[in-house]
Amino acid sequence: MSRGLVRGAVVAALVSGLAACGGGGTGGQSGGKELTFWMYQDRTPQAGQVMEKVREDFEKANPGVTVKLVKIPKDDYNTKLGSAVASKSAPDAGILDQPLVSKYALDGTIKEVPAGLIQEADYYKGALDTNRAGGKLYGLPQDQTTVALFYNKKLVPNPPKTWDELKQVAAQVHAADANVAGMNVPKGDGYGAWMFPGIVHGAGGEMVDDAGKKVLFDQPPAVEALQLWVDLQKSSPRKITDSDKPFENGLAAMTISGPWDVPTIREQFPDLDFGVAPLPYKTEPAGNIGGEDSVVFSTSKNPDLAWKWLAFLSDAANNGAVADAFGGFPVHLKAQVVAGGPEQAAFLEQLKVAHARPAVPQWIQVNDEIIAPAIESALTGKATAQQALSDAAAKTRSLLGWNG
Amino acid sequence: MAAPVLERVTTGPGRRARRRPGARRRDHLTGWLLIAPALAYFVVFLLYPALSALYYSFTDWNLRTEASWVGLANYADLLFDDVKYPHFWKSVSVTLQYTLVAVPLTLVSALAQALLLNAIRRGANLFRLLLFLPVVTAEAAVGAIWRWLYDPQYGLINTLLGLVGIPGQNWLNTPELVIPALAFIAAWQCGISMIIYLAGLKGIPGSIQEAAIIDGAGPWQRFWRVTFPMLRPTTFYLLVTGVIAALQVFGLVYVIFSGNGRSVTGGPEQSGLTYVLHLYLFAFRYDAMGAACAMSFILLVFIMIVTALQFRFVKQEAA
Repeated sequence: MSRGLVRGAVVAALVSGLAACGGGGTGGQSGGKELTFWMYQDRTPQAGQVMEKVREDFEKANPGVTVKLVKIPKDDYNTKLGSAVASKSAPDAGILDQPLVSKYALDGTIKEVPAGLIQEADYYKGALDTNRAGGKLYGLPQDQTTVALFYNKKLVPNPPKTWDELKQVAAQVHAADANVAGMNVPKGDGYGAWMFPGIVHGAGGEMVDDAGKKVLFDQPPAVEALQLWVDLQKSSPRKITDSDKPFENGLAAMTISGPWDVPTIREQFPDLDFGVAPLPYKTEPAGNIGGEDSVVFSTSKNPDLAWKWLAFLSDAANNGAVADAFGGFPVHLKAQVVAGGPEQAAFLEQLKVAHARPAVPQWIQVNDEIIAPAIESALTGKATAQQALSDAAAKTRSLLGWNG
Repeated sequence: MAAPVLERVTTGPGRRARRRPGARRRDHLTGWLLIAPALAYFVVFLLYPALSALYYSFTDWNLRTEASWVGLANYADLLFDDVKYPHFWKSVSVTLQYTLVAVPLTLVSALAQALLLNAIRRGANLFRLLLFLPVVTAEAAVGAIWRWLYDPQYGLINTLLGLVGIPGQNWLNTPELVIPALAFIAAWQCGISMIIYLAGLKGIPGSIQEAAIIDGAGPWQRFWRVTFPMLRPTTFYLLVTGVIAALQVFGLVYVIFSGNGRSVTGGPEQSGLTYVLHLYLFAFRYDAMGAACAMSFILLVFIMIVTALQFRFVKQEAA
């Protein structure tokens, strides 16, 4: 074999190998228009079927269009999306976490909702408002959700309506059995800090006034809300509630959670007899709002079609099923709520009084790095509720550059 | 490598002078092509990202839009601005404490396991497999299992402690206990160090041990006077790589503290907020990729200093 042939073969092998390495990025060019939509992984097989049916209906109504649903685990979603946007490989449209809408809008990486796409009056105002940034609409809500009080019917025959009743019931449960906690009191972590505003609103307060750039969570309503959690710990030792799934295992009589937990509990703990009631309040019923928004990315080649798809998902005919598939409640006023279990009424009632979280771009950081540790320091007795929150408010003002 | 040999064999002396310059260039080409895959991997996946990260560490960048140059501001803010980065120094302290506890614990556990494996005659393969399993178990499964073992109500660890009269602890939710609890898991996952120690033990000549026995040395003396000094190069290698790994610990804390739908904010009172977890949160949760890149370079420099100090002050030759 000649030397040249050997070299040629080596070169050819290497070049083809390298070419194969680099060839993964293209493809997917079909005859018609293809729309890529990123969403969270299906919560249940039924949810997957709902999305599949809506996708087929949309394709039938728009011949030549194929919609590709890309499902990504919720924990990785924001990371993957951020990287995709950075590398200019974002999908046409996708789900976007509520607090991220204003950030992406400021960056110009998502498009504004075109005029005339929807009638704004058809939507729940609270849910639609989570898509606004600087007064403009940047997305469509797909579902909305909230947290409420889950209670173990064997331990708590009548759910408490007010803070005083809540403390009383928790104390009675723990007094009756020292191995059972009155309530799975939230902790000073990111999740607890996320739930906290709903309690503050229940005392007539607010976390911040973002229009007036004022931090308000060092005011009496927030301090009272934190004091409530501190007080509840007397009848809810952490040694019990830090155990794995304390409410589900019958070790905590009450907990705060959302509709997404209901099917999981029913499936894994069929013997647990539990009910759901609106959150107890001090002066007025209140709660949090959560849920999924959907946006069109600036890099989309078919933005009009993408908006059409998003409007299709959230219209009166489809949003009932879609919102249910996402684990929440419809955002379209005329959409049919998928009939659920007896706990549904409590969530719907709670949604009427739910408040959106502060529209501050750095809110996640404030939530995790400042409010969560403040809550924890009060719950562990290292500071009083007032000290902890005054300190946190001062830090937040410095971080955000606010004076009030 | 093979090409020059090939040339000497096949090229006649008469043509050599004329053909040589071009042939050499082509030889170089072949050489480069042969290392091209490895080189491409190095450049694309290591060098380019590292240099990019260095550039971005001097910028304010949220991952989605153009980065803006801020000079040394990220470095200065990380080190001195506790409003912007309230938990930076906490994460440094958590990581140092973890390293100081986890590395020695891992070495002791690995050496003990290796000595036991080296001593037994039958079933060594089976035990080696069992002791190595924690290393090849998926990190998420490891997290789930240990959350269970450490459970304050049902946990096996509290049950065992109860048998000897020690009151149960709320391991993963008591700030003071978080680092020991994490280090214990690391020591349990010491399989790789154990294998390397085992190889080191096999490398100690039997004649030295025999000579020690003839001189009347007991097992204890043989370990401290013969085995342990002979293993010094192995220990040194494991110490250096162990410290580097411990300073970068991430997966373990991430899976341990992300259970039950909780967002990962580093355990109770940030007691498990390790340096790389803190870095991760800024990179992917708080949209501050520039600062996160700066954190990674501070860590790089720190690791280089620590490693250089170890080379300078730790005995590495077998004695």
